[in-house]
Amino acid sequence: MHRDDTPKAGKTGLERRSLLKGLGLGAAGAAAAAATLRAAPAEAMESRQEQVKSRYRETEHVKRFYALNRL
Amino acid sequence: MARMKFLCDAERCIECNACVTACKNEHDIPWGINRRRVITLKDGVPGERSISMACMHCNDPPCAAVCPVDCFYQTADGVVLHSKDLCIGCGYCFYACPFGAPQYPQATNFGGRGKMDKCTFCTGGPEADNTMEEYQKYGTNRLAEGKLPLCAEMCSTRALMAGDGDVLADIYKERTVRRGYGSGAWGWSTAYGQNDRGDAFGPGREGTGGS
Amino acid sequence: MLVKRNAGTAATRASLARRLNGLSAGTAGLGETVDRRGFLKTSGLAAGGMAALGALPAAMIQKAEAGPTLPNVEIVTRKNVCTHCSVGCTVIAEVQNGVWTGQEPGWESPISQGAHCAKGASVRELTKGERRVKYPMKLVDGQWQRISWDQAIEEIGTKLLEIREQSGPDATFWLGSAKFSNEGAYLFRKLAAFWGTNNVDHQARICHSTTVAGVANTWGYGAMTNSYNDIQNSKALLIIGGNPAEAHPVSLPHMLRGKEHNRAPFIVIDPRFTRTAAHATDYVRIRPGTDIPVTWGILWHIFENGWEDKEYIRQRVYGMDEIRAEVKKWDPATVERVSGVPGEQLHRVAEALAKNRPSTVIWCMGITQKTTGTANVRALSILQLALGNIGVAGGGANIYRGHCNVQGATDFGLDVSTLPSYYGLAEGAWKHFCRVWDVDYDWMKARFGSKELMEAKGIPTTRWFDGVTYEPEEIQQPSPLKAMVVFGHGGNTVTRMPEMLKGLEQLSLLVIADPHPTTFAAFKERRNGTYILPACTQFETDGSRTCSNRSMQWGEKVVEPIFESKDDYTIIYLLARKFGFADEMFKHITVEETRPVPEDILREINRGCLSTGYTGQSPERLKMHMKHQADFDKITMQATSGPLKGEYYGLPWPCWGHPELRHPGCAVLYDTSKHVMEGGGVFRARFGVERNGVSLLADGSYSKGSEIEDGYPEFTMAMLRKLGWDKDLTAEEMRVIQAIGGDKTDEVSWQTDLSMGIIRVALKHGCSPHGNAKARAVAWNLPDPVPLHREPIYSPRPELVKEYPAIEDRRDFRLPQLARSLQFKIADSDIRQRFPFILTSGRLVEYEGGGEETRSNPWLAELQQSMFVEINPKDAERLGIRDGGMVWVYGPEDSAKARMRALVTERIGAGTVFMPFHFSGYWQGNSLRENYPPGTDPIVLGEPANGVTTYGYDPMTFMQETKVTLCRVEPA
Repeated sequence: MHRDDTPKAGKTGLERRSLLKGLGLGAAGAAAAAATLRAAPAEAMESRQEQVKSRYRETEHVKRFYALNRL
Repeated sequence: MARMKFLCDAERCIECNACVTACKNEHDIPWGINRRRVITLKDGVPGERSISMACMHCNDPPCAAVCPVDCFYQTADGVVLHSKDLCIGCGYCFYACPFGAPQYPQATNFGGRGKMDKCTFCTGGPEADNTMEEYQKYGTNRLAEGKLPLCAEMCSTRALMAGDGDVLADIYKERTVRRGYGSGAWGWSTAYGQNDRGDAFGPGREGTGGS
Repeated sequence: MLVKRNAGTAATRASLARRLNGLSAGTAGLGETVDRRGFLKTSGLAAGGMAALGALPAAMIQKAEAGPTLPNVEIVTRKNVCTHCSVGCTVIAEVQNGVWTGQEPGWESPISQGAHCAKGASVRELTKGERRVKYPMKLVDGQWQRISWDQAIEEIGTKLLEIREQSGPDATFWLGSAKFSNEGAYLFRKLAAFWGTNNVDHQARICHSTTVAGVANTWGYGAMTNSYNDIQNSKALLIIGGNPAEAHPVSLPHMLRGKEHNRAPFIVIDPRFTRTAAHATDYVRIRPGTDIPVTWGILWHIFENGWEDKEYIRQRVYGMDEIRAEVKKWDPATVERVSGVPGEQLHRVAEALAKNRPSTVIWCMGITQKTTGTANVRALSILQLALGNIGVAGGGANIYRGHCNVQGATDFGLDVSTLPSYYGLAEGAWKHFCRVWDVDYDWMKARFGSKELMEAKGIPTTRWFDGVTYEPEEIQQPSPLKAMVVFGHGGNTVTRMPEMLKGLEQLSLLVIADPHPTTFAAFKERRNGTYILPACTQFETDGSRTCSNRSMQWGEKVVEPIFESKDDYTIIYLLARKFGFADEMFKHITVEETRPVPEDILREINRGCLSTGYTGQSPERLKMHMKHQADFDKITMQATSGPLKGEYYGLPWPCWGHPELRHPGCAVLYDTSKHVMEGGGVFRARFGVERNGVSLLADGSYSKGSEIEDGYPEFTMAMLRKLGWDKDLTAEEMRVIQAIGGDKTDEVSWQTDLSMGIIRVALKHGCSPHGNAKARAVAWNLPDPVPLHREPIYSPRPELVKEYPAIEDRRDFRLPQLARSLQFKIADSDIRQRFPFILTSGRLVEYEGGGEETRSNPWLAELQQSMFVEINPKDAERLGIRDGGMVWVYGPEDSAKARMRALVTERIGAGTVFMPFHFSGYWQGNSLRENYPPGTDPIVLGEPANGVTTYGYDPMTFMQETKVTLCRVEPA
């Protein structure tokens, strides 16, 4: 089968996401950020209690959804 | 306290797959992983019905019961989540799940499947809410943002609903009374029990959700 | 390895399906049927598709570029409109650092209310665009070379000017797009005019050109009369020749709510048991190509039982008696003999429609893409007139247009037969637009080969290649086509592709401006002289689009054009500048660097497009509508509060007069229950006032508050004077009218009065500027004034051909049109024996149009991984075809053939096969993947359905026949 041969950004000089990359949030940046987080997972982890806490709130957004479903 | 549920109204579902691509879009799910799918019964003949299926976040999740490393947990909202750090990719949950929800990123000759992935009810995982780490492993956490799963929010015909199970059951009942018939919502009683507000026009009607 | 995983998945799916199936009401005993997607999943193609994407990441989610919302980065929200179908779903984009990172539901949209289909929910991917065209390219000896924009425009422009010099302006074919914004469409039409040709067309030719011709010739305007939302008011729905559950999924919530709230019969008539039919209360299977017999069969029961609306017909319909005479021939036995539909079924349908009024009729390409397309449309329109269903909420001819802006692109004249706003091509039309454009008429005339060519319809896109390959003496223009410029249009969308390839090969220049290379770029036949310009999507620019219900929505730029792409406005400007007429063309349009400002283009539209009521929708008003979406009622689409109170969402045309007049737009066309200043209207007086002594004007019917309580002709200065209403014109309005009319001011009409004074005064007196006429059941100017059944060119029933022959051979659109001679020849040959199946075609929900864009989107491509043909189990068994197995489909022309999978399903009746039309990138069994410019090949490729479709055209529009032909299927 055909291989993915999409030109790589570096090769073609296409830097449309350079802004994002500059901020460390592009593909490479994100991976680096993730690596950092992985190195210190304890900080990112929720406690058992936090994990199971309720997150649902009946916000305006959620009410809107329910109302549309009643139509 | 509100209990999060999914409800798919087969009278409304048109198999448009908005739920599937909304999920792909929201969490940037790669090719081959399907947290949500649409299943069509009696395809092409009268009586054809489609339903959108994902992890139903069961009351008594069988996946959790069989997991050898106890990676599952259920939040106070009833959402069934798991830790990919603990998951060993054994696949037991896949066999236990009545809905075929668990997905694995790889299949090798030696049986390794990689970390299991499934629908999170857009509620992330054990990492802190809406952090990059949580996002990378589990996707976004819409519930923490005051929103509901995007699949339901974008459903074309309002067939797939997500949210407070009592509200969904009421909405479903309103619809079936209006239509004059109720065939029950597929998967509802399997996931949430036979007696869960079920009546003739409710979603949990006897014999409609698997047993 | 992946096959194993997929097999596992499939097994679970089956077990889930079994579990669910056994428990569903009323399904016992029927067992399981094949699931379209399950079938594809088990086909092993999934593995191939994945290989194409490279190895899967080891961990579940590796952060993609421009992935979803990033924590702690500012989010900017932008509002645009989905770029796929004509429903017009609001897209809410979340942008971070200039990258589109999240998509949210647009709850406030009166149309979509947060909903999307698979395509709409995936549009964010378009601006990730991994498979987009990234920079301009040219084909040199079969190899793609990257070039700069400057070089591209310079070379293309030079070559086009050279061709113009040698062969005249008509030697270039300008193919525009229903994906343009309104402003882009208008500009492209203007570009063709300035270039000096009417050879300019777009996708409407191949989707609803026959609808536009049919309904405009019946009651005045070529558009959906009501709206998607309004279907919630319907007491019965008839969907014929359409599958909105796949083609227009977000119309379904409105339809299903109508069905549920009103307990409305939901009737589907189609050769296929579609996903829409799955929700029907009644399903009628017909033989493809028998729409008129079935429609007359319904009307037969209506007339027989006296169910027609006699008073409505008396007041508002011309010529129904002639229809009655034709319908009388279609008794139940005759209808059954021709269409295969039992009389009793149509009695039920007729009764449901008659006794549950208002009832609506919905149609799509099953009606329009026929050699009798215009007549089909007219027959359905007449059915609705007989029931008194036009001009009422809940009724209407709800014609679902295809692309996101096919209505707008049609309205702005991307059409070989008219200037923008349906003014036509006559001298008066040109003079009107020369005034709007502020250019000298003689200068404009000199741009053309001759005045005759300036006023002659061009060559339509369905037959552009005939315009290249036919002998020059067969083509009624100075030279055959030598060059083609294609914006946003696939190459697999027209029938007779083997012939198309010959045309492609002979073109000396082919220019493709598109986000994707399209099928045109993928054929080996061309080795030189092809250019690809990266055009961006509508998410990377701003402008308005008109949805099917005539509402205009302003889309806001989400992100800057990605890679080196440019928007349509800029590309058109660059070409005009190279051609040397940019200053004339953009005289009243601000150009920022090289980008014309869309707001200014819309203002020019507002000044000139009087005849369709495209004048009140200023960019400022449209932006207000997008901002205040929440204030609109979700059924009537009227704002009930806020600054826009009383206006209809998107100011659906006609929106009369200057924006300052604050006309609210018309949610329902021809609705006499409302005042014209409140969106009311009457049938348009477009065809004179009298015919053979019979009045064509309405009889005692008029819109609420009209000072003329009867029919009246369209407004001109002469009429204003007769009524004494000319005194209401302001001095400034009179000055403009005098400037236009000179010494013949009496002839200045509401359509040409650029002051819009005539319109204003008519409205002031409660009258519609376009007059108040009867709708025409008999349209004497059409080839069939009363719609007649005619067998398809490739009729599966040769014995009926002599009884119901095609029209006589003729010439039109600068080309010969074969019809009856070909049909008879085919009927007398052994083609029916050698090609025993009826072939029909249609859409899938995941893909759109030619499909290159959607097949390049992994979120969609994963759901439909291979081209297939649906075949009934009985036929499959007889031929030894197994589900999922490869088959060859052979067509009767040009040794046509295509290789694809078989989907064995009862969805399609025995004797008929169905193919989706979104595939390309394979040709007669061979992959064309290597021919695409590197990195731009769509993820999924397949044989195009049009590789085997055949000759056959509607006489009014040259619509192609894609819904009925013959073929043979054999195991591969």
